[in-house]
Amino acid sequence: MVRSLLTVSALELRTRVRDRTALIIAIIVPVAMATLFGVALGGDDPPLRATVGIVDLDGGEFPAGVRREIMASTELAGVLTLRDLPGREQAQSALDAGDIGAAIVFPAGFSASVGAGEGGQVGVLTSADTPLAGVVAGAVVDRISSLVRARTLAVRASLDAGVPAAEVKEFVERNGAAGPALTLENDPMAGGRVDLSVYYGAGMAALFAFFVVGASFRGLLIERKQGTLDRMRAGPIHGWVPIAGKAVVGFVLAMVSVCVTWASSVLIFGSTWGDPVAVFTLLLAHVLAATAITMLVASRARTDAQADGVIMVISFVAAFFGGSLVPLYTLPDVLQKIALFTPNAWTTTGLTGLAGSGAGLASVALPIGVLCAISAAAFGLAATGFRKGLLG
Amino acid sequence: MTSTLTCENLSKSYGGVAAVRDVGFTIAPGEAYGLLGPNGAGKTTTISMLVGLLKPDTGTVVVGGADLSADPMAAKAKIGYVPQEIALYPDLTGRENLRFFCRLFGLPRGEVRGRVEEVLDLVGLADRADAKLDTYSGGMKRRINIGAALLHRPELLILDEPTVGVDPQSRKSILDGLERLVADGMALLYTSHYMEEVERVCSRVAIIDHGSIVAEGTRHELVELVGGADRIELTLDGDVETAIDKLRGLGGVTEAVRTAAGSVRLIAEGGRYLLPSVIATVDGIAAVTAVEVVEPDLEATFLHLTGSTLRD
Repeated sequence: MVRSLLTVSALELRTRVRDRTALIIAIIVPVAMATLFGVALGGDDPPLRATVGIVDLDGGEFPAGVRREIMASTELAGVLTLRDLPGREQAQSALDAGDIGAAIVFPAGFSASVGAGEGGQVGVLTSADTPLAGVVAGAVVDRISSLVRARTLAVRASLDAGVPAAEVKEFVERNGAAGPALTLENDPMAGGRVDLSVYYGAGMAALFAFFVVGASFRGLLIERKQGTLDRMRAGPIHGWVPIAGKAVVGFVLAMVSVCVTWASSVLIFGSTWGDPVAVFTLLLAHVLAATAITMLVASRARTDAQADGVIMVISFVAAFFGGSLVPLYTLPDVLQKIALFTPNAWTTTGLTGLAGSGAGLASVALPIGVLCAISAAAFGLAATGFRKGLLG
Repeated sequence: MTSTLTCENLSKSYGGVAAVRDVGFTIAPGEAYGLLGPNGAGKTTTISMLVGLLKPDTGTVVVGGADLSADPMAAKAKIGYVPQEIALYPDLTGRENLRFFCRLFGLPRGEVRGRVEEVLDLVGLADRADAKLDTYSGGMKRRINIGAALLHRPELLILDEPTVGVDPQSRKSILDGLERLVADGMALLYTSHYMEEVERVCSRVAIIDHGSIVAEGTRHELVELVGGADRIELTLDGDVETAIDKLRGLGGVTEAVRTAAGSVRLIAEGGRYLLPSVIATVDGIAAVTAVEVVEPDLEATFLHLTGSTLRD
C-alpha cells in the first residue's frame, strides 16, 4: 500500500517537476506577485502617515479633549496629522482635493448633549482614494463612540442615583467614567497596523496554494481520461492509492510554494511574519484546506477542464472575499462577514495578526481550528464524491 | 477442471435501466473466451465489473479461487487488464511505463528489472524500450499496452478491443502473441469488433445483446444455431412484396424478409445451388440487380441472434 502510494507520488512529482508550468505556478508567479504588490502598495503602513481633518462645530470640551488625547497619545504620535477645518463643506473640498485623507466632524452641541447623558453622533468623511486614512478616522470615531456611550451611561446612572444635574458632570469625571485614553485598535481585520508586504505575501501564498494543489487533482482527471487511472484501479492496489498519491504531491508542492513566498517576503522586504512555528502551522492548515477543497472539486467534476475552471473560480472568489487581493478592512461589513467562509480570510487574518503582534501559536489557534474544520468537511464530501464517481 | 474465471448472475442498472442482466460464464485455464456484442450491448460494463472498476448490483466474480468482492487484492492480482485505449503515459518511455506498473503492482524490487525486460521481449519492443511512448506507432502502442497487463504474471488476461486501429502486420503479431500465451496456460477474455480475430483466437464465444448473453458455445455450436443455412441477400427492382411471397414458397427457403426498400434476405439450405431457382422465381415480378450468398459463420450467427452486424 505504502509502496504503491509512493510510486504514484514519485511519478506525479516527476511529471510536475518536468512540467515547467508547475514551477512557474508554484514559485515564480506567487513570489513575483507578492513582490509587485509589496512594492506597489507596501512599505510603511499608510495609516501611520494619515492626515485627518477636524471640523469642530461644537467648540466644546469634548472635541478639545479628543484632540488633546490624540496629540498626547504615544501610539498615535507621528501617525496622525490633524488639520482644523471650519466646516463640513470645506472638509469635503479638502478631501476631494486630496489634502486630507479623512475628516471627523463634531456637530454643534455635541459636548452639551454628551454631558447631559443624551449621547451624540460624530460624522466621518472618507474617500475611496485614501481608504487607510478612513480606517484611522473610523477607528478614532469608534473610540469616541465608546467614550460617549460610557459617559452617557455614567451620567444617566448618576442622575438616577439622585446626583443633582448641576453636579453630575464633575461627579462623573471625578469617578473616572470618562473612559481610558484614545488608542487605535490593533486588529488588522479592522484596519490597524499592517505591513502590506506581509499582507500581500500572505494573500498570494493563500491564493496560489489553490492553483498548485489543484493542478495535481486536475492530473487525476487527465489520468481518468487517458485510461491510466482505470488501469491502476484494475490492479492489485487500493482504490484510494492514485488519489492519495496525487494529493500528497499537491500538498507538498503547495507547502513549498507558500514557504518560498514567505521566505521571499522576508528576504526582499525584510518583513517579519512573526513566530515561525505559528506561521508554518497556519500555512500548513491553509494548504490542507486548499487540498481538501480542490479534492472536493475533483471528486465532482466530469472533466479536467471543468475541474480547472471551477478551481480557478473558487480560488479567485476565495482570494477576493478572503482578503488576498484587497485588504479585508476595506471591504463593506457584509463582505467581511462573507469572508469568514473562506480559508483565505482566516489565513490572512492569522498571518497579519502574527506579524503585527509577535504572538505565538496560541494566538492563531482559532484560525487553525477553523481551517482544520473546513478541511475535515471538504475531505468528507470529497470522499463521498469519489465513492459515488471515480471509485463507484 | 477448476476454472480461472467464474462469474455468475452479474447485473448492473443505471437509473432503473439495465445495462447488464444476469450474465454468467466460466473460463478455464488455457482457454480463450470471446465476448461479442454490438455497441451498447453491455460488454464494457461486464468487463468493468470483472476487473473491479464497477461494483455489480448482483452477482459474483471469482478469479483463480479469489472472490473479487470479498478479497479484491487477491483477485485483482490474478487479472491482467488491457483497456481499449492506450492506458499508458505518453511522455514516459516504454521501459519507464512498464517499470512504473511493476512497482505499483508490488513486484519485489529485485524482480522489476528482469520482468520488464522479459515483457519487452515478449511484445517485441526491446529495441524501442527507451523511446518515449508518443513516438511509437499505433501497433507498438497496442503491444506495450498488452505488455503492461502481463507484468504481474496474471492468470487471466482481459482484453477490450486490443487491436483497434492497428495495421495487419501488427494485428498478426498481437494475435500470434496471444495464442502463445493461451498455449502457455493463460486464460483469455477477448472482445473485438473483428469477428475473424475472435474466430481465430477464441475457442468459446458468448454473444451479448441488450445486456444479456443470448448464445454461448464453440464456433461450431453457434453456427449450428442458425441451422447451418446460407443467407442470400437480394436487391430487387419491381414488385418486391409479390416477389417475397413467391420466394417463401420456394423449396429450401426457410425465411424470406424485406430488410430495406428493395432488399430481401433469404435463409436457405444450399443457397449457392438455389440461386438459379431464386432468380427464376422472381423473373417477371422484379429484376434482380444485386445478389450475395453468405455461408454460415459467426458473423451470420451474430446477425441472426442480434439482428445487427457487429459494427453497427
